Amino acid sequence: MLQAVKLTKRYGGIEALKGLDMTVEGGDIYCLLGANGAGKTTTISLFLNFTEPDAGTASVCGLDVTREPLETKKLLAYIPEQVMLYGNLTALENLRYFAQLGGRDYSREEYRGFLSRVGLQPEAVDRRVKTYSKGMRQKVGVAIALAKQARALLLDEPTAGLDPKASNEFSELLLKLKSDGAAILMATHDLFRARETGTRIGIMREGRLVDELSTGEVTHADVEKIYLQHMHAGGHYAQQGASSA
Amino acid sequence: MIVAIARKEFLEIVRDGRFKWTAGIMALLLLTAMAAGYQKYSAYMDMQRLSQDKTNAQWLNQGDKNPHAGAHYGNYAFKPAGPLAFFDNGINNYAGTALFMEAHKQNFAIGRPASDQSSIGRFGDLSGAMILQLLMPLLIIFLGFTAFAGERESGALRQVLSMGVSNRQLLWGKALGIGAAVLLIVGLCVAAGGVALSFADLPMENESLGARVALMALAYLLYGVIFLFLTLAVSAWAKNARAALMLLIGFWAFAAFLAPKAAVEISKAAHPTPAFGKWMADMRSHQMRGIDGVPPFARFEQESREIFAGYGADSIAELPVYVGALRLQKFEEYDFPVFEKHYGELRDSYTLQRRLQDRIGIVAPTLPLRSLSMALAGTDLIRHVDFADAAEAHRRDMARKVNDYLGKAAVSLNTGYGGGNVLIADEAVFAIVPPFKFESQGLGAVLAEHSGNFIGLALWLAAALGLALWSARRLKAEEG
Repeated sequence: MLQAVKLTKRYGGIEALKGLDMTVEGGDIYCLLGANGAGKTTTISLFLNFTEPDAGTASVCGLDVTREPLETKKLLAYIPEQVMLYGNLTALENLRYFAQLGGRDYSREEYRGFLSRVGLQPEAVDRRVKTYSKGMRQKVGVAIALAKQARALLLDEPTAGLDPKASNEFSELLLKLKSDGAAILMATHDLFRARETGTRIGIMREGRLVDELSTGEVTHADVEKIYLQHMHAGGHYAQQGASSA
Repeated sequence: MIVAIARKEFLEIVRDGRFKWTAGIMALLLLTAMAAGYQKYSAYMDMQRLSQDKTNAQWLNQGDKNPHAGAHYGNYAFKPAGPLAFFDNGINNYAGTALFMEAHKQNFAIGRPASDQSSIGRFGDLSGAMILQLLMPLLIIFLGFTAFAGERESGALRQVLSMGVSNRQLLWGKALGIGAAVLLIVGLCVAAGGVALSFADLPMENESLGARVALMALAYLLYGVIFLFLTLAVSAWAKNARAALMLLIGFWAFAAFLAPKAAVEISKAAHPTPAFGKWMADMRSHQMRGIDGVPPFARFEQESREIFAGYGADSIAELPVYVGALRLQKFEEYDFPVFEKHYGELRDSYTLQRRLQDRIGIVAPTLPLRSLSMALAGTDLIRHVDFADAAEAHRRDMARKVNDYLGKAAVSLNTGYGGGNVLIADEAVFAIVPPFKFESQGLGAVLAEHSGNFIGLALWLAAALGLALWSARRLKAEEG
């Protein structure tokens, strides 16, 4: 579904991504962990073709995103850390707009259906979204992904700043999408949820994928230990030592 | 898809609190301007009609006198405002409204409303045209500068572009949505004004009025679309919404204020208007000297044999018309080329200035629009020249008619005695001169003269569209 082959990206002289190889299949929730600047967001931007790779390819359902930028986007849904909606439009109007941008259209009842599936209170549907909490916005973001009938989802720290209940509801939604067969790639800092919700975990450091785990084979404590080992290993401290020497 | 984008853009704009304010202010200004324009126009047209009727009556009732003295008594031509002067008053404030027509002299139009105004008048009339020329672009900029830049700043653009929509579709959709919002305000006000005017009993000069209104609407529509695409181009290109706004306001100030002023100054420097005192003195002395250096009396003596022969006469006694009247008419005619030369020089300087201004006008869309708007309203220089020409033609006709009458009525004076009142004309005689009536060249001539300005607007439209497409193509979800 989602595949990166030797994906490389430089910003200025700095290599943000160094030959990333990864695959996310349908029914997978692949959680990308790593410090800020490890290359998680860059990976997502490359799949969306918001930025051009310097080498390697990113493909969605076998289509190269740089060659078929519009087609591949139609297969994807993207949910950022802050789902940005149009404040003066209602949830339903926002959803309809984004669905139409994705080339789909539904009846009002169907739109209501999507919004109720993601757990938005029916009375909020016709309210302007400038009054919405972050959790409600993220739900609309998922509804947009549902309405788009995306084959693959790209999530960039979608639960950051959500309260535990909202975060939990969001994870439930992801599990539903997964059971529908979507391929989900999620950048996150939440080790606990990554283990709970994810099927696989990838750990990134300085533009490289340094480890991959299957969540069924590890405990939460294992994940944290392995993550911290990688963060401490060589790189960070060694570099600091070198620069101060 | 494009319609969906347009609808969202329109809804978002219309629901924004700022829209209500902007729309309210714009509507208030536009309606006030049109009401003021109407009031001014109807007052002017009433005055023009009354004055023309009065001066026509005065001509007829000037009392019994020598018919040539009647031509000296003269008559006024009052300029009609122009078919759409209530919308665009053009140069009417500066060009003179009344022209005195008398024997032997071609005069200027006098009565310039601007000379009766305080310095505030220099800012120009509050007219529908001014509001649309200056404020409509500002409205478009305010409603449109965030179209791309604002969404990029908020991050919404990432989501929008992640949906697989093409940049070009986004551009068309946004243009349509913002355009609809602008049209909602401007269109409604103009339509309301138009309907109100159609109920008012306007003394309309119905010169292809429908075509003028349609072309006017087309010109202003083009102008609006130019600013719309420029706004979208800059919004897509600029680093952020703030930068987009600064750049657009800068361009607006240049187009609306700096460029027109500069065009006027440059054109005056390139084609100076003759200094009035010297010009007038030159013309008068040229009349005295005669166009070929032979003063009128001497010239008449030289040419008298030929002139008499034209009547099949060898001597004054054989002439079928009074020689004094013949001489008066010849003197009139000797002056024609002098007037044509001197007024021609003056007029050429204005025409060259105007044409240069139109050529400079290519630097900003406001200039060709302003020119076109005045021309279509019938308040521009071309029409003023038409009016002056019509008055001069009337003046010559008046002089010729009274001189002809005198020639026939007083023929007995050629042989020495004039029985009865051969030199006295009464109302019935003065009635041989019909009342002054102004007919302009019509719309065809206006369009021929102003095709360059339509081309100017079309070029700007192409440029704005090209810029917008180029900007949209390189539109990125994020900076850098």
